[in-house]
Amino acid sequence: MRYGMVIDQQKCVGCSGCVFACKAENHTTDDINWCDKIITTSGQYPDVKFEYVSTMCNHCDNAPCVGACPTQAMHKGEGGLTLHDPDKCIGCKACMVNCPYGVISFNWEKPHERWLVDTGVAAGSFTSATMLMAAGGEGSPHSNPESAEAYPSVRSRGTVEKCNFCVHRLKAGLSPACVDACPSRARVVGDLDDPASEVSQLIRKYEGKPLRAELGTGAKVFYIRSYTPERRT
Amino acid sequence: MNAKANFNLSRRQVLIGSGSLALAALFAPNAIVSAMAKAGLVYVPNSGKWVGTTCNGCTSFCAKQVYIQDGRALNIRGNEFSKVHGKASCPRQYLALQELYDPDRVRTPMLRTNPEKGRGIDPEFKPISWKEAISLIADKIMELREKEETHRYVSLRGRYSYLSDLLIKNFTTVVGSPNAISHSALCAEADKLGSYFTEGNWGYRQYDIKDTRYILSFGVDPLSANRQVSYYCSEWGNTLDKAQVAIVDPRFSASCAKADEWVPIMPGQDGAMSLALAHQILVNGGWYRPFVGDFIDGNNRFIEGQEVDPTSFEEIHTHGLVQWWNLALKDYTPDWAAAKCGIDAEQIRRIAGKLIDAAPRVQIWRSRGSQMQHRGAYAAIGMHALNGLLGSIDQEGGVLKWASVPMAKMPSAKKYLDEIAKKGLKHEKIDRRGRLEFPALKKGKSGGGVVTNAVATSILEADPYLPAFVLGYHNNFSFSAPGGLRWEKALKKVEFVAHITTNISEFSWYSDLILPAPHYMFERWGIQKTAGNRYTQVSITQPVIKPLGDVVEDECGVPWLIAEELAKRGFENPLNYIRSEFKDPETGKAPTSPQEVAKYATKILTQPFWDPAKYKEGDHIGGWEEFVEKGVWNSKPYAFRKRWGHMKTATKKFEFYSETMKVALEKHAKKHHTDTDGVMEATGYAARGELAFMAHYEEPLRYGDLETYPLLFVDHKSRLSREGRSANSMWFQQNLDIDPGARKHADVAKLNPIDAKQLGVSEGDSIRITSTQGSIDCQAALFEGVRPGTVAKAFGQGHWAYGRVAARDFGKEALGGNNNEILPPAYEHLSGSSAFYGQIGIRVEKI
Repeated sequence: MRYGMVIDQQKCVGCSGCVFACKAENHTTDDINWCDKIITTSGQYPDVKFEYVSTMCNHCDNAPCVGACPTQAMHKGEGGLTLHDPDKCIGCKACMVNCPYGVISFNWEKPHERWLVDTGVAAGSFTSATMLMAAGGEGSPHSNPESAEAYPSVRSRGTVEKCNFCVHRLKAGLSPACVDACPSRARVVGDLDDPASEVSQLIRKYEGKPLRAELGTGAKVFYIRSYTPERRT
Repeated sequence: MNAKANFNLSRRQVLIGSGSLALAALFAPNAIVSAMAKAGLVYVPNSGKWVGTTCNGCTSFCAKQVYIQDGRALNIRGNEFSKVHGKASCPRQYLALQELYDPDRVRTPMLRTNPEKGRGIDPEFKPISWKEAISLIADKIMELREKEETHRYVSLRGRYSYLSDLLIKNFTTVVGSPNAISHSALCAEADKLGSYFTEGNWGYRQYDIKDTRYILSFGVDPLSANRQVSYYCSEWGNTLDKAQVAIVDPRFSASCAKADEWVPIMPGQDGAMSLALAHQILVNGGWYRPFVGDFIDGNNRFIEGQEVDPTSFEEIHTHGLVQWWNLALKDYTPDWAAAKCGIDAEQIRRIAGKLIDAAPRVQIWRSRGSQMQHRGAYAAIGMHALNGLLGSIDQEGGVLKWASVPMAKMPSAKKYLDEIAKKGLKHEKIDRRGRLEFPALKKGKSGGGVVTNAVATSILEADPYLPAFVLGYHNNFSFSAPGGLRWEKALKKVEFVAHITTNISEFSWYSDLILPAPHYMFERWGIQKTAGNRYTQVSITQPVIKPLGDVVEDECGVPWLIAEELAKRGFENPLNYIRSEFKDPETGKAPTSPQEVAKYATKILTQPFWDPAKYKEGDHIGGWEEFVEKGVWNSKPYAFRKRWGHMKTATKKFEFYSETMKVALEKHAKKHHTDTDGVMEATGYAARGELAFMAHYEEPLRYGDLETYPLLFVDHKSRLSREGRSANSMWFQQNLDIDPGARKHADVAKLNPIDAKQLGVSEGDSIRITSTQGSIDCQAALFEGVRPGTVAKAFGQGHWAYGRVAARDFGKEALGGNNNEILPPAYEHLSGSSAFYGQIGIRVEKI
């Protein structure tokens, strides 16, 4: 059993719904996106090309981040997932340096500190602190107690973090939040070891490739088809 | 902090525990976790509740389900019961979560204590109670009644639901004011005009993209904005397997990135291109004969520059094709258009060929930008006429009307009008609709529509009169209307301004009283409608969480509270109206609270959808409880071709020569003792004679001379902007780069590198953009995806109020610049629409 994902670039419309669904699910700070994007604009007027590539941890089979971690905080878990144990993390950032995809983030500050501010824009307005008190939540009103079962809702300053394929959802028989949120159904998650799984079939049919396949990291997020339609003019 | 958080389940224990199971079992609910969940010890994913409501973040009005866990709204998705979009959604929905939990939200009513009004001058709002706030409003209304000046009460409607007719329309009427002013003319009235004067539909369209073969979009960026973004996002990738897409837009949009062809047209020239396409389609003999008809002998006589004998052509479901050709089209060749559009004649011919090949499975889309121009009405008609020529109206793969739905009507207030009210209602409306220069021809009726942005001018000039009390609701016209600074000046002149709002906006800043609004997705009742995928749906908004702060249902609750206070002052009609007409349709119980008025009003308007005794069509729903549970009702699928020969036009046909327009213009002219040429002159159109009744070329009116303002400004929508209300969200600011050419946490103007080089502007430079209307400062982004000579900038940033994320310095300094400060307050007069687009001259300087 090896979890993998396929992203159909033709279906993807670059809306970043995956980014926001991930933020809502995993309570990342304003500056950190576990699910993020690479946007490239190329060409010269009027032959312009704009491409959106959704990115996240590739859960590499030969994960360089795991090899680099001196404390085994970054480790391989069941289903081939690359997981992170923040209790063991010493914040050395070796994983970040070694990740060829740049999808690991570091908490330079204590997360969600802006929610402690107790001044408002007017006497009859909320403040961050009073809004948090009125709404509830740990760290911010957007904290999710469900994902907190697998990973602390408010991270410690000086530790890294990254996508865990919504391991808490996988355990409950659900797809990662980004998969469910995609309006164009461009994302599929499944077992790469099972040749009959939808992910395996899509990879075969469309010759799916991970990003920077040449590095041999055994990345398990595969991309199929093209974001840009063929110019059929 | 909740009780469950005190249970310290080690994350590692969970992992070790599950690791002892077979790996394949990971997709099934984990037995250990399930057991702990039963014991209430862990939060099992998806153990919360999905509750139906509606998103009001844009005009897509998608039915939603909000995920409630622990009493909080944590996630959102498309409503699974919707046949329009299902669970599909768009990125903007998530920003609603940040609007809901916005730390800068208004918590309680507030009263201004500093009488001096101005940008950068603190209003020194102090919290007051609802009772004090409503008493103040009631006193102001009573003062006007005593003076028999009720017409000087003006209500302004921004983003609204179908319940708003209570607060805005009927309450305003009972009080005795004709001034229930909607934002609609800032929205898209010129668009509706295009389909009304061709096919009798004053409304929007849906596009059958599942079965289409060719999409030609004039400016529409359906993956970002316009109607039903969720549905189009869900199907677009599949459509690309079967259809080709060309998008006409001076700016390379998100949809251009997913299209086969980008046609970077000169701003304001969409009409010219559509006319050349029509010309070429006729010359090539490419019209769709089963809809349009044919020459009696089958020989095509549409030859460039040559008139055709009208008796030689027999039309079927259309009217006036030959007159259109003879009076206008015959000379509009692709070569003629090329010079105006800046698009090669060959490209226009090629696109015409593709449209002909794909017809009738084609669809011509038109955006705000292509028609909300000073002379945009005839562009709107011309673009839509292409759908008629190609026979795509109501066809598989073509352009469909929204199905009409059997929604009940808001109970009338007519019998509750007293003499003072009747007298007040006789006054001219404050927006000048129906004057010679403002025909506002909604559904063909002179003065039938609204001219929203004229209200500021009316206030400034005290013509027809100066309002004494303005109540704004979910609107921010000083930010969202062209020439926004006029609103700031106008509001200073009004004796008393009250604003119902979630945030202290640029409108609130000039208000005397602020009333906290519930969030329009999570905290109140409401009703919306949308169409796509051949269905039209009606969905409700409902309170899905305990409201934050001291809010009252705005569209129904606030009028109830005011009515109670007015009754105490001896004016009982408003309370009698609400109490008598808004009874629970199931129990007959009269409302006793703001919440009950809102709930009963929702039940009354939606009764045909949920009450089996009133069932007419579409989804079968067993009762109110089931409707609330589902949150949405779907129509039956739209029937193809049913309107052919039965359109709501003067001829019952699709009109290339608009007899419907002729009737409307002649009536308006007669009212003002002039002829249709007089109307054309007063509304800024160049056409004279019969040209006024058909699509024809109008030279765009350029604001600013070429020498002083050498570039043209292109305003557009950001993918993440919820009509200007999401800028106080960090999620918005940090992800703005999903708009092609945009940058994170910045307000950028996109310049082509050719222009930037000439101006000596580099990437990231601070620049000043100046038009005839004013100046704004923002950041330069160099982008190959803008037509040289044009500068594109998204609406949504440039707030100096609204919150501490949206503004650089709240109340004082804007983050970037608001486009509406440089857009002149221009109009497409025939519809009353504000003209945000066309040829708005600007100059750009590095600062």
